[in-house]
Amino acid sequence: MENPPPLDAALIQWLQDVGDRGLFITDTSLVVFRWNQWLAAQTGRAETDAIGRQLFDLYPTLPERGFDHYYREALAGGVRILSERFHHHLLPINRNLHGAGVTEMAQTARIEPLWSRGVVVGTITLIEDVTERVVTERELRNQIAASEQARELAEQASRLKDDFLATLSHEIRTPLNAVMGWARILRTEDSPRARSRALDIIERNALSQLRLVEDLLDMSRILSGKLQLVAGQVDLGEVVRTAVEVVVPTALAKRVTMTTTCEADLPPVSGDADRLQQVVWNLASNAVKFTGAGGSVTIDLARAGDDHLRLTIRDTGEGIALDFLPHVFDRFRQQDASPSRRHGGLGLGLALVRQIVELHGGRVGAESAGPGRGATFWITLPVSVDQKIDPPLAVESGPVTLEGISVLIVDDDDDAREMMLALLGHYGAHVRGVASAEAALAELAKNPDDTDVLVSDVGMADMDGYALIRRIRSMPDETARMVPAIAVTAYANTDDRVRALVAGYQTHVSKPVDAGVLATSIANLVKGKISPRSA
Amino acid sequence: MMTLTALQQDALVELLNIGFGRAAASLSQLTGHRVLLEVPTVSLQAIEDVGDALERVVQGHVASVHQIFSGPVGGDALLILDESGASMLKELLTNEPALPLSIDASAREVITEIGNILLNACLGTFGNLLKVRVSFSVPHLEIANVAAILQSLMVAQHGLRYALIVHAGFRLRNAAVTGYLMIVLSVASLDRLIHAVDEWEDAQS
Repeated sequence: MENPPPLDAALIQWLQDVGDRGLFITDTSLVVFRWNQWLAAQTGRAETDAIGRQLFDLYPTLPERGFDHYYREALAGGVRILSERFHHHLLPINRNLHGAGVTEMAQTARIEPLWSRGVVVGTITLIEDVTERVVTERELRNQIAASEQARELAEQASRLKDDFLATLSHEIRTPLNAVMGWARILRTEDSPRARSRALDIIERNALSQLRLVEDLLDMSRILSGKLQLVAGQVDLGEVVRTAVEVVVPTALAKRVTMTTTCEADLPPVSGDADRLQQVVWNLASNAVKFTGAGGSVTIDLARAGDDHLRLTIRDTGEGIALDFLPHVFDRFRQQDASPSRRHGGLGLGLALVRQIVELHGGRVGAESAGPGRGATFWITLPVSVDQKIDPPLAVESGPVTLEGISVLIVDDDDDAREMMLALLGHYGAHVRGVASAEAALAELAKNPDDTDVLVSDVGMADMDGYALIRRIRSMPDETARMVPAIAVTAYANTDDRVRALVAGYQTHVSKPVDAGVLATSIANLVKGKISPRSA
Repeated sequence: MMTLTALQQDALVELLNIGFGRAAASLSQLTGHRVLLEVPTVSLQAIEDVGDALERVVQGHVASVHQIFSGPVGGDALLILDESGASMLKELLTNEPALPLSIDASAREVITEIGNILLNACLGTFGNLLKVRVSFSVPHLEIANVAAILQSLMVAQHGLRYALIVHAGFRLRNAAVTGYLMIVLSVASLDRLIHAVDEWEDAQS
């Protein structure tokens, strides 16, 4: 080579410019004599500040953390590497990491001797920034843990479903066996006594299967958000008495004592009387089912605070294991899902109880001191804002007419409002529309007697439908305050529906609005009190 | 064929044990856990026979930390751990689950530092014994099977060479991890070492 480049100078410049890691060189007294640009940029200590100073003077934490030994080893010819995991960093440097703010830079480093002609003349330290790698590894670890957890949950859900299917086939087959067996007997036995007994058993088993299918359908309706509550003012005491009457014969047959107490003058709750009866029936029959001969079931309905009613059902039965207690209201769960279990059922009853109660804005709970020590189930339901109790609603038969009924539509969406005006007009109603909650309040205050039913969208700008009904329910004019109201809520959103009922609406219809459903709801709400104005 | 006398073997074990003691102290200090290293056992093998000897005790992929040392005595020093042993050691020392070594750069680094500490301690003891200064290369971690690792050692140098195989048993937090140190020396270097061991042994008695 004719003109070899001045290698030393070139190398030194190369080291100086290394852009992706830190490099400094000391003499044997650990006085710094090279400090590269990366270090200057990251530590904020310029080359001129570092060069000529003793390393431990620049960074007193190094000897404090024991690194003086490492440098002594390097001066004796040894090489030491520093892993991030054990040391985190060599030099304290702040790093502004995108997305994580300012953190201390994670580093790996190595300390080596600087040799010249077989003699150690100093030390070389190389530092690498591994902050991002550490963050990535942590995320990877978290992701692996999370996917592990998700897999376990999925496996558990699939196990529960398998158990449920096994139980379901068993539960469906059991009554069918009885029906078919006794049908066969009927063919050969024709004594009136045998026939009457056979028909009894067939009817009882067919009923039990019907109930099972209804539970399944209910659960599927609730899960798909299609369960419609026919809301009205419900006397919960009446509901409890009716439900308990159905269970009493079973209790008597099992020699289980049933006691029901009900506080006097309870306010009504807002909800669906049939569904609430289903809830009470489920809880009461469950209590009887798990209580042996000589035991007792106590049912108590009372106020809980100013605005809730609480129904408590206490039994002296089998009780619930503590580890199962948190799962009693879960779908498909049964304390004993083994093939040898003593009690039938699908494990849907309590799940339905919870779903229906929660749709009413209430809460459920279960307590037990453990196996063999009885159980207590309770539900609370919010007291209706409207204090009147409606007579039980008859199912509408024949074409609905809204002839002579005044409806006030509140919706800030012009198209939606126009559509409802047109739809209800077809049913013969006298319909007015306003575009905001404020306008509705003004209209009710001005002409309280002109509105038989209020239909309001829930999601509106400025004041929403919840706020509107709360304002209406506290208006000074009694007619305006008591106006029956229907909330129009987003389809399949249970929370919205519950909130609507709790806020003071009598019922709700789901979007997209079905004209027939809306008309029936309006007709039901004003039934029996169509004003003389219509004449 | 070079062999070790029983006396030489005992002396080597004693010397290596001093190095192991130092390494265990460093690891304990570093990790905050009490780390013990069992008293080593030593055997001498011709390099050609090392593969068979190692494959009897470690199978599949291994993690090897390799440092070349040079000076009046020179050769290759390696710490060899099987993959599960390496992951377990990393978990025990860092309290955090190891991912597969191929994607866990932190684990590879930790294993490299452990190898670095152990190899430095042992070679440092030899250096002191021989009263020579030994210089080291930067430790390098490789994950491969035993044959591939030995192959890379064979390519580097020719001539008759021997390997001291040292059984290293780590004990920490009620668990045990086994590794092997392999110190590969030329005949001349091994001669010097054995000579120095003899002298040291004489001085002790």
